[in-house]
Amino acid sequence: MARIGVFVCHCGTNIAGVVNIQKVVEAVQLLPGVVYVADERYTCSDVGQTSITQAIKEHQLNRLVVAACSPRMHEATFRQAVARAGLNPYLLEIANIREQCSWVHSKEKEEATEKAIELIKMAVAKVSRDEPLFPRKVGLTKRALVIGGGIAGIQAALDIASAGIETVLVEREPTIGGRMAQLDKTFPTLDCSSCILTPKMVEASHHPNIRLMTYSEVKAVRGFVGNFEVDILKRARKVDESKCTSCGICWQKCPEKVPAEFDRELGKRSAIYLSFPQAVPNKPVIDLPHCRYIKFQEWQKNPQGKKPMECRICEKLCPPQAVDWSQQDEMVTEKFGAIVVATGFQTFDPTGYGEYGYGRYPDVITGLEMERMLSASGPTGGEVRRPSDGEHPKTVVFISCVGSRDEKVGRPYCSKICCMYMAKQSIMLKEHDPEIQSYIFYIDIRAAGKGYEEFSRRAQEEAGTLYLRGRISQIYRQGGKLMVMGEDSLIGRQVEIAADLVVLAAGVEPATGAKELAQTLHISYDQYGFMNEAHPKLKPVETNTDGIYLAGACVSPKDIPDAVANGGAAAAKAMGLLSQESLVTDPMVASVDPMKCISCFMCQEVCPFHAVDKQKLRDGREVAVINESLCKGCGLCVASCRPGAINLRGFTNQQLLEEVTSLWR
Amino acid sequence: MLNSDLTQQIRDKARELLESKAAECVIGYETGSDGAIARPAFIYSPDGVERLVFDDTCTHNLASYLVNRKGKATAVVLKACDARSLNVLLQEKQVARDKVYAIGVACDGIRQAVWGRPKGELQDRCKACQGHTPPIYDVLIGQPTSPDPPAPSDFSRVAEMEAKTPEERLAFWQRQFARCIRCYACRQICFGCYCQECFVERLDPEWTGIRVAPAQNQMYHIIRAFHLAGRCIACDECQRACPVDIPLSLLNRKLEEETLEMFGHRSGLSAEAQAPMATFRPEELE
Repeated sequence: MARIGVFVCHCGTNIAGVVNIQKVVEAVQLLPGVVYVADERYTCSDVGQTSITQAIKEHQLNRLVVAACSPRMHEATFRQAVARAGLNPYLLEIANIREQCSWVHSKEKEEATEKAIELIKMAVAKVSRDEPLFPRKVGLTKRALVIGGGIAGIQAALDIASAGIETVLVEREPTIGGRMAQLDKTFPTLDCSSCILTPKMVEASHHPNIRLMTYSEVKAVRGFVGNFEVDILKRARKVDESKCTSCGICWQKCPEKVPAEFDRELGKRSAIYLSFPQAVPNKPVIDLPHCRYIKFQEWQKNPQGKKPMECRICEKLCPPQAVDWSQQDEMVTEKFGAIVVATGFQTFDPTGYGEYGYGRYPDVITGLEMERMLSASGPTGGEVRRPSDGEHPKTVVFISCVGSRDEKVGRPYCSKICCMYMAKQSIMLKEHDPEIQSYIFYIDIRAAGKGYEEFSRRAQEEAGTLYLRGRISQIYRQGGKLMVMGEDSLIGRQVEIAADLVVLAAGVEPATGAKELAQTLHISYDQYGFMNEAHPKLKPVETNTDGIYLAGACVSPKDIPDAVANGGAAAAKAMGLLSQESLVTDPMVASVDPMKCISCFMCQEVCPFHAVDKQKLRDGREVAVINESLCKGCGLCVASCRPGAINLRGFTNQQLLEEVTSLWR
Repeated sequence: MLNSDLTQQIRDKARELLESKAAECVIGYETGSDGAIARPAFIYSPDGVERLVFDDTCTHNLASYLVNRKGKATAVVLKACDARSLNVLLQEKQVARDKVYAIGVACDGIRQAVWGRPKGELQDRCKACQGHTPPIYDVLIGQPTSPDPPAPSDFSRVAEMEAKTPEERLAFWQRQFARCIRCYACRQICFGCYCQECFVERLDPEWTGIRVAPAQNQMYHIIRAFHLAGRCIACDECQRACPVDIPLSLLNRKLEEETLEMFGHRSGLSAEAQAPMATFRPEELE
């Protein structure tokens, strides 16, 4: 027989100021099964919790309802109080009479009182059908996977590894380093990007607890928090990393030259290449679609057209004979307890902005292309030259918000870093050549960050950069110059600048394949493809899938300090998880009644967490069974189950029906 | 009127399957005692095949009997419309494809029969669909006049119903459901109603009262219709089986129309098709 106790909370005046507590208490006393009703000023306080535990003991209560704030607020608190009194903590229901009653009905006090009574009535009805639930323990693999070897991923891997946890860092490119490796200087301190990044890259490659897997991609993820099983595709480099000494003969002698992706195609690389001199691992890779020997092999299989040269120069010249044609792509399966996703960003492709002429005029470049030109190890050796004729530009125009804050191209968000990198590049240009005059067309200058506003002023005051507020309507070529037509909206006049070089501050967008990876990991992403954090404020590095964390610009545009802090935060969360001996599962999950299951496995199809397995019964029937560690208790399977064989513990059909029918009884 | 050509071909095929032990049982039709409606026949030995017939009284959807023969090699005579239910059953993993031998029949339509007397007129479902190719079969008997799978149902009666005011509609259905005697014939004859325990017989939670009463009857019929949304293949057998003539197919047609409009889904055209209620496509976000 249910002996239900009800605690009605005043929450100071939050509830009591609107709801007539006395009336509520009187009405609740009459409800079936209720043997004890009390009201408390602050039920969540120490005094309030003690009166709960005392009442349970004194009145032999075996079910409890707390009418107070949202269960998201204090359900856990009250569960603990119930458990302290020796009762199963799941024999508690919360009636939310604050957020869903007093706060929203502050003007209608009588109706609010009535609603509070009804909400409690429902909770009492539900609690009468509550059953004791018991969490279970599962083991975990104390290894972490970090996906993406940019600065955020490197930081996360280093932090996790330093805690003594074995970490695998997977990177799609042949080298780690990510976007930061492509940059010349970093704002607002102007320290050299490589100089601060390279030591971290090296540290990651030498760390005893980190294993680098470059030129590799995550293909499939199975399992659940603490017990992930991940398929990683290791692409063939065709170079034996253990033999190669990185002497450089191969990539110097390789006859096939192709545009270098790392240099944003401003320069060339050979078919066997090292992305940049400080690449980690410092071993070249053979770009198979461009390699002459591979083309020759294909021709042999299907002799069409001209016979290509057999080449194999790299192989012939390699002193330690490290070129290994027999290497094949390889799928490896590894187990991990936690996953950090740090897939970063790429820059927006501005070709869609016809008025800027990017792609049509070689001297219209993006910010990242400018970075490569400014970099001493870049395609121009650190000299800024016009791509069209190699001349040194004297007038440079920067255009901000290209692919940011623009609904037209589906990028309404601010890319956060562009204002600062334009200021930085204008300062760097002045340092390279004092005769250069930079103009920056902006919408707003967003310089929120330590030292950012000062830095932006420095561009204006020291480097003499002219900031013009307005948008550009058109760029066209006249003589050797690019005529930039726009409006200075502060003085309300048309301006026209004859520029030598135009830099488009292309915005930030998620890296290609980020969406597909998110789907593989079963984590959510927004309309742009940025991955969603579990809570934008309170859970910024967690995802809705336990054990998967986010770091860096895969969540939203971030600058380097933010990405590093984020990497560390994600690492801390992963470490917290992996420091446990075992994991406790939430018992409020679905369960299948095998006798009612009709084996249609619709539940398996709808389950977003792959928590439904097949189980063979003794009579030979194959029925659905829930993997409790994977189940999140979302209830999709319950809704999809036609015979009603599935029930959600803590929210059973019986409980819900009782709750609803209580309203008209 | 016996279609002697189709009948002969079905008998030959059945004999062949039983003799070669490719099937343990052939489910087909035999002449009914009243002559107005053929009845299902379960033939286990080659001697019995002469009982099999095919004519315009063969109304039953024989796919309904497959669920109970799970795992046993069974051959079944399926009209084009009934073949769609085999696809639904395959999709819902209720039968194994390699255990079912589908004898698809290109039929010319089934005629109505009222109270044991043939009425001569074609059934409503057949007016919209004649001589189509079954969407799934192992052997096809007869010449389909149209190569396409069965056409969508005729929704004109749904439109007529929707032209009425909500009050009129409610009154109409209340009148209909009040007559229901809860014999569950509609459920028993339906190929899609194969749950071990029907929600209506559940005691905990008691979704709807077990009593024969207008409100409870209404709940039963509405939930049953929803359980068939995106699955019903419009064989109209529920309505034919109903002893008090409740126009159940009207409810099913409405949900068929909805699933067609909202998800572009027609049930049973392919065994690989995904159930519309259990699939999410990003474009559905609008």
